[in-house]
This record gives sequence, C-alpha cells and structure tokens, in this order.
Amino acid sequence: MYLNGEFRFGDARERVLRALQELRERGFAARDVDVFSNEPLEIPRDVLERRSHMSFAAVTGAVLFCVLIIGFVSFTQYSYPLITGGMPLFSFWATGVVFYEITMLGAILTTFCWFLKEAGLLRRGRPPAPDVEPGMICIRVRCRIEQSVAAQKSLEAAGATNIQSSGDAR
Amino acid sequence: MSNSEHRWGMAIDLDRCTGCQACVTACHAENNLPLSDPESAAKGRAVHWIRVDRYYEGEFPNIRVKHVPVLCQQCDEAPCEPVCPVYATYHNEEGLNVQVYNRCVGTRYCGNNCPYSVRFFNWFDPVWPSPLELQHNPDVSIRMGGVMEKCTFCIQRIKRSKDDAAAESRPLKDGDVKPACVQSCPAEAMVFGDLNDPGSKVSQLAESGRATRLLEELGTKPKVFYLQKAT
Amino acid sequence: MATLPAISSDEGIRRDLWRPLAGASSRYLIVLCVLSAVALWGLVAWGYQLYRGIGVAGIRRPVFWGFYLVDFVFWIGISHAGTLISAILRLTDAGWRKPVTRAAEAITVFALMIGGLFPIIHLGRAWLFFWLFPYPNSRLLWPNVRSPLMWDVTAISTYLTGSTIYLFLPLIPDVAQLAKRATGWRRRMYRMLSLGWTGSDREWNALESAMKLMAGIILAVAVSVHTVVAWDFSMAVAPMWHSSIFGPYFVVGAIFSGIAALLIVMALIRKTMHLEEYLTPHHFNNLAKLLLLMSLLWLYFTVAENLTAWYGNEPKEMNVFGARIRGNFGPYFWVMVLCNFVVPFVLLGIRKLRNILTATIASITVLIGMWLERFLIVVPTLSYGRLAATWGRYTPTWVEISITVATFASMGVLYLVFAKLFPIIAIWEFETQSEHED
Repeated sequence: MYLNGEFRFGDARERVLRALQELRERGFAARDVDVFSNEPLEIPRDVLERRSHMSFAAVTGAVLFCVLIIGFVSFTQYSYPLITGGMPLFSFWATGVVFYEITMLGAILTTFCWFLKEAGLLRRGRPPAPDVEPGMICIRVRCRIEQSVAAQKSLEAAGATNIQSSGDAR
Repeated sequence: MSNSEHRWGMAIDLDRCTGCQACVTACHAENNLPLSDPESAAKGRAVHWIRVDRYYEGEFPNIRVKHVPVLCQQCDEAPCEPVCPVYATYHNEEGLNVQVYNRCVGTRYCGNNCPYSVRFFNWFDPVWPSPLELQHNPDVSIRMGGVMEKCTFCIQRIKRSKDDAAAESRPLKDGDVKPACVQSCPAEAMVFGDLNDPGSKVSQLAESGRATRLLEELGTKPKVFYLQKAT
Repeated sequence: MATLPAISSDEGIRRDLWRPLAGASSRYLIVLCVLSAVALWGLVAWGYQLYRGIGVAGIRRPVFWGFYLVDFVFWIGISHAGTLISAILRLTDAGWRKPVTRAAEAITVFALMIGGLFPIIHLGRAWLFFWLFPYPNSRLLWPNVRSPLMWDVTAISTYLTGSTIYLFLPLIPDVAQLAKRATGWRRRMYRMLSLGWTGSDREWNALESAMKLMAGIILAVAVSVHTVVAWDFSMAVAPMWHSSIFGPYFVVGAIFSGIAALLIVMALIRKTMHLEEYLTPHHFNNLAKLLLLMSLLWLYFTVAENLTAWYGNEPKEMNVFGARIRGNFGPYFWVMVLCNFVVPFVLLGIRKLRNILTATIASITVLIGMWLERFLIVVPTLSYGRLAATWGRYTPTWVEISITVATFASMGVLYLVFAKLFPIIAIWEFETQSEHED
C-alpha cells in the first residue's frame, strides 16, 4: 500500500528532508520513497540513493552511433560501383563532419531515451501519484500494512498533514 | 590515375583562332543546346558550352586582340566533382568529367565551384520554336529545366568512333574522333586527341613551348592546352 | 540587482503566465491572419517557381546562388538564439536567463524549420530533394557524402532534432500542470505531451541531468552546424570564399543575429502579453550588453577578413574586395557596418541611451545588417569570378523577395501559435528562481 503525506507552507523542503531522514532511519528502502513537487527540490542524491548513469549512457550512445556511421559510410561507399576516376572511394576527412554530427545525434537520442527510462515515464502500471498543488510537497511511501504505523509516525513527526493511504492493502 | 586506353585532351592554337565562333555554332547544333533570346542573354541565361572570350591589349590604333575559346577543361582534379551532393558529376576512366543529367537535382554548387565558369544551368524547360526541333541531334539527350550541363567533349562522337572502330576491328586512329567544334574550325585552330598516345597530334602540341593551361595555378589539371601567340 | 517580481505567490505567477493561453483577442487574430496571408503568398510564389522553373528567380550564371542561400544562412544564424541563452547561460549557471529560455529555444526550433526549407527551395528540381538522403534503391544511386551540402543535411537534421528535444524537455512539467486545468482538446494534447509526468523526485533528477547534458551537446552541435553552413562557401575555390575565417565568422555572426532576434521577440512578448514584471529591464540590460559584445566581436572578424584580403593584394580577391567596399556593393557594405556596429555601439554602449526601446531598435538594425552581411558574402564573390569574361550582375525577382518576406511572416505565425498553446516562460524554472535569488 502507499502512504501519502503533504507538506505545505514555507519550510516544507526542510521538513521533507527531516521526514526522509526519519524514514531511512526506520529502515524504509530508498526505492520505496518518492517525493512529489511542482518544482525541483534539489534533494541531495545520497539521501534517496538516486544514482544517475545518464552521462555514461550518452557517451555510450555517441560512441555507438560513431562506429555505426563510419561503418555505414565506408561500407556503402565501397560497395556501390561508383566511378570516381581517381578520387578515393572513401575519404575519412572529407566525410568527417558527417561522422561528428551523427555522433552527436547519437548522444542526443540516447540522452532523451535514458531520460525517459530514468524518469520512469511512458511506463505502464505506475502506482497512483498524489495530486500536487503549487507550493505543496508530497511524500509517498510504499509499505506493507505492518509498516504503515511507523511510516505514519515518521511523516507526522516532520509535520506532514493530510496523511492518506492508497493502493491495495497488502 | 586510371589505366584506361584513352585520355582525351584538346589543344587550341590561339595564334590561329580568328574568333569567328563557328565552334560555338557547331556546338549548338551538335548538342541540342537550349535557345536564348536577347532578353534572357542579357540576364545571363544564355547557354554556350564553348564560348570565345576576347582579351584586348593596348590603345587604338595599336590594339591587340586575343580570342580564347573556353570550354569545359575536363580537369583531372575537377573542383566541381567533390561538391555535388548526388554524384551527378563524376570522372570517367577516359579522363572526361561527365555530367549525368538524370541525377542532377540542381543545387548548382558545381557551377559556383568551377573557376572557368563553363557550367550552364537550364533555368526553364528548353523550348525550340518550330521547325527548329527538327534539327535536333538524336545522339544527344534533351535536358529538362533544373539540370546542369556543360561541354562533354562530344562524348557521343567519341562513342560513335569507338563503335565504328570496333565494328571494323581496328584500333582508333588519331584524328578519328572530332568533336563538333574541332570539326568546324575553319582555321584548324583546335586539335582533339588521345593524350595517352605519345604520337598523337594533341600530345605533341601539349609538349610545345607555347602550351599553357588556363588558371593552372589552381591545380585543377585541365586537359585543354592553349598554345599562346608567338608574337 | 533585484530580479524578484512584485507578485511572488505561485498562484500569481501562474495567473500571469497562463492568461495568454486562454482565448484569443481580436488583435491577436488580426495579426495572425495578416501574417498567415503573407506566408501563404510566399507559398504561392514557391508554387509558381516549382511550376514554371527556377528561372523565375533572378539567379543566373555566374551568380548561381542568390537570395535563397542568403536566407538560408540568415535563418540558420537566427537559430543560435536558443543555443546561446539556454546552453551557454545554463552551463555558466546565469540565473537571469530563466524567463528567457523557452522563448529563445522556440526561436531556435522555428528558425531551423524555416532555414531548413531553403536547401529545398533553391533546388532546380526540388521535387527530387530526397535524393540527398541515403536510401536503398535499385538504380545504384547514392549521395556523395563528400559534398558540403550533405554535411549541411546531417548537421541541420541533428540540430533540429536536438533543439526540439531541448525545447520539449523543460516543457514537460509545465504541460503536466496545464493538463490538470485544461478541458477538451487542449487537455488531451497536454496529457499526451506530458508523457505521464507526476513530479516525482526521480523525474526531476532525470530532467535536470538530461538538461545539463543536452546543454553541452547542443552547444557542440550548434557551433558545428553554423561552421558547416559556412563551409558550403569556404570549401569552394571562389575568390574571397576560400578562407579559413568563415567557420568562426559565421558562428559569431549567428550568435550575434540570434541575440538580436531574441531581444526583439522578448520586447514584443513583454508588451503584448503584459509580462513587464517577468522580463525586467535587468534582463534586457544583460541581453543588450551581450549584443554589444557580439557586435564588437563581429567587427573584429570583419576587420580581420577585409584587412587580410586587402593587404594580400591577390588580384582575383581584390576584384571582389573592391566591389564590396567601393564598387557595386559598396552602399550595402557601409550600411551593413552602420547597422551592425555603429548603431549598436552608440545605442547600447552609452549607458544613458541603453533602455528597452533603444535595445530593440538596435536589434532590428542588427538583423538588417546581418542579412546584408550574408548577401555580401554570397553574391559579390560569384559576380566577380576568376575569369573576367564571366562577370555578371544579379538582380532578385519578386519570387525571391516574396519568399524571403514570407519566411519572416511564417516565423511570426509559428511563434504566435506557440505562445497561445504553451506558456512562454517556464513556470517551474521561474518559481525555483524566485526562491533563490539570482
């Protein structure tokens, strides 16, 4: 089941951080906790263990596209029976610009696709998300029934209001 | 370079050229060149695969004129070839710079990059008022609007001569192939032949002390040799 | 300097930035109709050109490239507006950029779309433009990747893809919020575009990482794109084209014209959408200072190009140089210097004179000057080729002028529609800013 707690008013961000600290201390896994807001909160990454491999993915995508385009161009240039009268069939520097552009295209597309993956967008069967109003921050904790009391205590200690549960009771 | 049998080249003796423009007319007739009227010529739309440039030196009455027939130089390192995005212009094994009309999409980059400005563009579909269309040469295609064209060294005549020689089971002799301009020159100022054949007239003229090439410093390696005036 | 708007509540910001999205005033509709009519006329002109043949344009031998190439370079140049603001300022964490980013990125995408049309418009057989793409066919045909025009194709496609993604990414949170309050077809559209965004911290983290990465990538691509467009010219052996200065010169000119376009757009939306509290004189001051800086940089490159040509005294180059400075193109050259350097320097360099109105005037003159600069790059070199017997003069026709004007109108149309569908200022970025002082 999911437990949602709302944090309103000026110091919401600090209280949310306190609540996250509490939840972690009580043993809730980072992947079970989500924070919802209408603007980026800049929670330090290690608080909720959100590690990002996006740079690595982008570089990998770029390298992959680079290899593919060089292979594609050289293979097609050599395999088409073109008559050039002495001009080399494949010229790396004359076509280098195209390789660079397609490499960057690879980085762009990979970044976008990785963003979709890391954000979890376009995925089916996502758990219901709380409706966040402007200025409000919401914490959603996934927990079993037995843990719900502990979760509720953590949230209340940090000053959450309107604590509700949703989802299937388990 | 290629190991083909032939390498076509031309030598033009500027001492003999009178600027009569018979070559220009012959080229028009042979290659189905589009017509132009005074209005389009004034707009720079006239098409002359070979043209006669006139250079004047001195003041009247001591003027000296040099007539220079300029046609596609069939450069061995043609600047027009690498820049065509669709490979519409390429270099064949006999050293000719070939324009493929069907492939051209009309970006006109080749025209900009040719330092001799020997490339011409079909701005519209060509029109020949009756009965001029009866004069068309069936060996040469009609180009549509949007396509680049230029001198081909009368590649249809080269092909015809090669076919005739093969039919008669003999090799091509020097002087067998005569592009329209070479054939029509009354002063016999133009010579066409095989640069691979050291005995051909064009090879010998190319070695002459008077032989120069246009804009040689650009490194385009043109294959038209201009024999400068002796005086 | 204070940048906080008078209204600091989130509701207030939403009200101001979402107001333009509801309904359309009669003034908006009239302007939209007029601009659409002009754009449509351009389409008619192009249709006429396709029907009759490209000879209806003024281009000729030896000036095989004319207005269309000038417009092409000009619009690709304008597209660097978004790149500069979003990417460079984002990378240097300059907070004042925040209200300006989406407007700039929108300029980029639309300018690229318009500029990318010109390689098709200027073709002699435009209906065969797809031959420039490598597709399998049974005729043994393949594009020549050696050609700078093919480099153009890949560069602009990459940049357009990247810019669209770069515009779309920060739009997602805004669109998700709009979806909650919209009705009807708008709600469906916003829901679809929001990709199921819920505002979780995972999503925000991913967005921030992606934006940082994209900023760096898009910067690298943008520099290469305009360099590649410049190399269309400098790879040719034509006099005064074959110069290594073209790459950097064009990039600088692009950023220059991009900032000018952005300033004009900002001034327009500030006035018409009543965003005076969000686009403050502080923003315009910063943009104006950037414009002045780019003007000086442009001057440096112009002097460098012309001084080296003149000092080298190479005859074929001197023909072109003379024509540009004092010959047939002389008047255009000096108007260009006036528009690109003198007017911005006076209006923006003298602090007393620098305000939003004068900055807008300076930007308009910069756009005129930059268009003239592109013209002076393309046409004089071709008019005065290496063989004097081939020289010729170019005069544009109504077709080219119509299409040129229509592109400006279509930019207006695209922008008007965009501003009606999406908030022109990124609300979530702006709210973050209003909490942490710039």
